[in-house]
Amino acid sequence: MQALLSFDKAPPFAAPLRFFLTAPLFALAAGLLLLALGPDMFASRWMPGLLAATHLITVGFMLQVMLGALIQILPVVTGANLGNPLAVSRWLHVGLSAGALLLAAGFLLGQPPLLSAAALTLGLSIAAFLGATGRALSGVPSTSPTIRGLKFALFGLAGAVALGVLLALALARGWAVPLPLLTDLHAGWALGGWAGILLAAMAYVVVPMFQLTPGYPARPSWWFPRVMLGLVLAWTLAVLVESPLALRLVQGLSALAGIAFALLTLRLQMQRRRARTDATHRYWQLGLGSAIFALFLPLTAAAWPPLADLPGWSLSFGILLLVGGFMSFIVGMLYKIVPFLAWLHMQNCSSGQAPAPNMNRILPEADMQRQVRVHALAVALLLAAAVWPEWLARPAGAALALASGWLFYNLLGAVSRYRRHIKENNPA
Amino acid sequence: MSHPKTAHVVDARYLEPPEPFVQTMEMLDTLKPGERMLLLLFREPHPLYKVLRQNGYTYETELVADGTYEILIWR
Repeated sequence: MQALLSFDKAPPFAAPLRFFLTAPLFALAAGLLLLALGPDMFASRWMPGLLAATHLITVGFMLQVMLGALIQILPVVTGANLGNPLAVSRWLHVGLSAGALLLAAGFLLGQPPLLSAAALTLGLSIAAFLGATGRALSGVPSTSPTIRGLKFALFGLAGAVALGVLLALALARGWAVPLPLLTDLHAGWALGGWAGILLAAMAYVVVPMFQLTPGYPARPSWWFPRVMLGLVLAWTLAVLVESPLALRLVQGLSALAGIAFALLTLRLQMQRRRARTDATHRYWQLGLGSAIFALFLPLTAAAWPPLADLPGWSLSFGILLLVGGFMSFIVGMLYKIVPFLAWLHMQNCSSGQAPAPNMNRILPEADMQRQVRVHALAVALLLAAAVWPEWLARPAGAALALASGWLFYNLLGAVSRYRRHIKENNPA
Repeated sequence: MSHPKTAHVVDARYLEPPEPFVQTMEMLDTLKPGERMLLLLFREPHPLYKVLRQNGYTYETELVADGTYEILIWR
């Protein structure tokens, strides 16, 4: 942990913290939206409420934490330094938060000006972030699969955002584009090309470190980012040449690549040397199990396309991959990063006075374990609601809101213990 | 523990931070002129690299098939 996060060039606590504390509120909003709109939201994947909730989770929650965490650990995993991390995090945080809200409101209310404003806000802030990280990484050789993966992931983010901006503007202005094809492609770039590659690049470092597992074998580690990026590029080509068969093939292969990575990670976790099953480990188990089930859906649909038309099919895929998979990996990592950063900054500020409290007192394990259970319940209820929306959509929304609100409460608890300690030890 | 590259080895692959850093620093202190040490880890230690450079050490890193980074350090 210390090697991962404490570095003399590491940014101040405020830089990543703003992202970590805001993100759960967007997931909470997604849960509340489902609670308010109920079963109608699950009528099809194109329902405005569902599009709004999906982007509250992907942009408001996932992207917030991913970019906030990247600002923190970029120097440690690559040796590269962002020019002014605090300034970058300030405007990026505003851009992402405003963009996610505008996008969700634009979908929900069907307001073209809101969608255009969202496209502009998100497009510009993420482009500026990519510029800043691109500058920091230029000249950094890809000496490890993590560095190469990170570079590929940032390219994937650029593709995902470009397609997202195109889709939002097409919706706002009524451009004639093949919306379903481009939406799938946007999701492929966002979840495979960006989030999937980023997750792998970070997992190479954090899984052995957090859970004391063996390392990821070198060959598949080098290959996974290459294969995944190659597949989303091939996917794009298949859309451009309008080949349904090629499309099925690349979608099936993308799912297969994701399953292979998840199975490899599960195997490493079975060989871990840490006996204690902490909240992070539980979150990763939930995440890997959900991701494997999620990716089996497009894999089987690639083999037999009528399956994808079954009621609840694409909804189940989204729930399993986003709420069961990515959200679980992300919260699992937050539960290591936030208490550690709080402890580290307390330690740095204590200078000879009261020492920083034990990390388990900053964010008690029992609090995290209880929240994991509610998150798992939310995933189960959401899945059941995909099949029986009439009965379960609202309880599932309530469970997601509760899990996300609890996450916020847990993180806020850690931050207030940090602030109290700083205040007591620096009365001036 | 010995290794074909050198007899001075810190195997930090299953150690929690900051142990790898601490043990590496301790071993560097015991090295005689001309001797080399090897650090084994499952990640590239960029913060350690910086400290090594600042203290006049040279290092060479190799990622081997099982995912171990072999970091050979000398002055």
